[in-house]
Amino acid sequence: MNDQELLLVGDNPFHGISHLSQERARARGEGAGSPEKAAELVLASLQNGANGFAFSVSELTLSILRSIRKQNSGSLDLYPMVPYAFEYVRIATQTGTPGLARKLAKQIVLSGGPRAIATGARAVLTMNPSSLLSTYLTYEISRVKSSAGKRMNIVSLVLNEVMTDLALGLNLDWLFKSYVKFLSRRKIIPGFNTRNFPFFVQKFKEWNIDTRDILIATPFNRAGFQMNPSKLECEKTLADLANPTVLAISILAAGYLRPPAAFEYLTELPNLKGIVAGVSTEQQARTTFTLLEKSFRTAKESV
Amino acid sequence: MGMERIRVGVVGLGKMGLLHAGILNFMPAVRLTALCDKSGLMVRLARKVFSRAGINVVNDLEKFAGLDLDAVYVTTPIFSHSFIARSVYKNDLARHLFVEKTLAPSYAEAEELCSLVPKESVNMVGYMKRFSVTFGKAKDLLAQHALGEVSSFKAYAYSSDFMGDNKSSRTSGARGGPLRDLGCHVIDLALWFFGDFNVVSSADEAVAGTLAENSASFRVQRSDGLEGEFDVSQCKKDYRMPEIGLAIRGSNGTIEVNDDRVRIEESDKGKSTTWYRHDLNDNVDFWLGETEYFREDQHFIDSILRHGNSEPSFLTAAKVDSVIDKVRQAHGSGLNE
Repeated sequence: MNDQELLLVGDNPFHGISHLSQERARARGEGAGSPEKAAELVLASLQNGANGFAFSVSELTLSILRSIRKQNSGSLDLYPMVPYAFEYVRIATQTGTPGLARKLAKQIVLSGGPRAIATGARAVLTMNPSSLLSTYLTYEISRVKSSAGKRMNIVSLVLNEVMTDLALGLNLDWLFKSYVKFLSRRKIIPGFNTRNFPFFVQKFKEWNIDTRDILIATPFNRAGFQMNPSKLECEKTLADLANPTVLAISILAAGYLRPPAAFEYLTELPNLKGIVAGVSTEQQARTTFTLLEKSFRTAKESV
Repeated sequence: MGMERIRVGVVGLGKMGLLHAGILNFMPAVRLTALCDKSGLMVRLARKVFSRAGINVVNDLEKFAGLDLDAVYVTTPIFSHSFIARSVYKNDLARHLFVEKTLAPSYAEAEELCSLVPKESVNMVGYMKRFSVTFGKAKDLLAQHALGEVSSFKAYAYSSDFMGDNKSSRTSGARGGPLRDLGCHVIDLALWFFGDFNVVSSADEAVAGTLAENSASFRVQRSDGLEGEFDVSQCKKDYRMPEIGLAIRGSNGTIEVNDDRVRIEESDKGKSTTWYRHDLNDNVDFWLGETEYFREDQHFIDSILRHGNSEPSFLTAAKVDSVIDKVRQAHGSGLNE
């Protein structure tokens, strides 16, 4: 990773997600749901200082990528997150976990060529967890690439927080090692979204997985929202990291904080690689990223 | 000498089973010892995944025998709760038992399970909303009589889980129907907030409400006249995440509470105050799913460690099953509730 801050536009508003108020999310969800409109917001953010797009891989975001491809001839750095937990949980609710596994296996097998089918079938037959993981990741990467085209580049593939934190809780070191190994070989930075940042770093040290070569997306905000076990512990862990590899998410604590003060807090944090911010309107895209870029530049100049 | 850890087995490897397993495995006081699922696919995969962690993965509950378990979590579909819980007690597979909501598929079966509980054991049902900081705050406000005398409440539980799914009737039914699958949480909260109440029975739909395959509405009344209304739907548009809430009216004002916030309007003082999750110290030692799941599991494990009681116990939770059965009776329904 280079020294430039990552200012990524996130997709939460496009899915109608607000962790502050589900009422507000419902109201917001209807307007921002159109892929064309969302693509315009991503492009507006890029014109105003954002330098990448972070999103969960879903039918909606793949449509947004296709729309960006039509509207924009430039390059774009992508930070896709997998799996799209909401959709998988919904399928599991309707069909049970074995039903979800069967449906996913079918999708993977039908999406690939003969080689992918053979690899996927072998992984399913042997039930080798690392092979299953590789097959799944290959499937998700190919979905993104086929929608994004050649001008867009997958910089990092981020493991969703439910998977990351479940695997942390279950002490599944093999999953993290396989994930890092698989992506590193493909020149994609292994990314992890977690709401247990200090525990995540502690476990990675224990397992001898180098945190310098990965990306960690985790909540950082003045309110301490979603910063477990505490704001203080998260800040201390960040300060002790050897390299800046952390992307701050939930930076406005889901609308609880107002931008100037919220951004000031972020610029004071050491070792932050960048941030992810969602926008719902073009006006927000302009003000948010202009202000973020200015805040980080000013902070850098004052050092 | 190290602390003796509580040996726990989890039955059911669906999303709730994995979630509890993840949280329990984090806890220093717990040793996640065994997992059980009847699906051959899940067992095969889980054996590969957990082989190095020394966790036993079995396909039959009887194989929990000999594992010296202290506690079992039952996280299977509701229709199987009674059978599994009964087996745990009758075969002495563990002393302490946690059952995901609802306790049983009927009040009669819930009552039977209450009668099987061994002495000096901890039992609990997974009504996790009690461990949410917003509902906890509302409970505190009511306990402080912030509303004066409570006269009525309106409760809702909405999701889009079966919206646009043409197989929804079948799948919702398999999960216990709208009241057992979703509405039970808000029924439990209402019982926690207001104590026991009766389901209003009437031939008039406007009075008694409705009960359909994915939705239900009904009214209740407490012996002192407090009235309540419930509205539950699993096919409500734009409820990406399930949401439950209550609006409570009292002589001094109103409280509105849901998963995100609690707001009190005190008419006697002419002011309103809102607390969001952010304001209520919502952080936990380990996050998975929602913060309330960690607090819930911590409460159960702490109750075992201090030889105390945990709430909601089987006896407390059986009241939810009783209310659901009464709604069904009030509507003369053969639906799966």
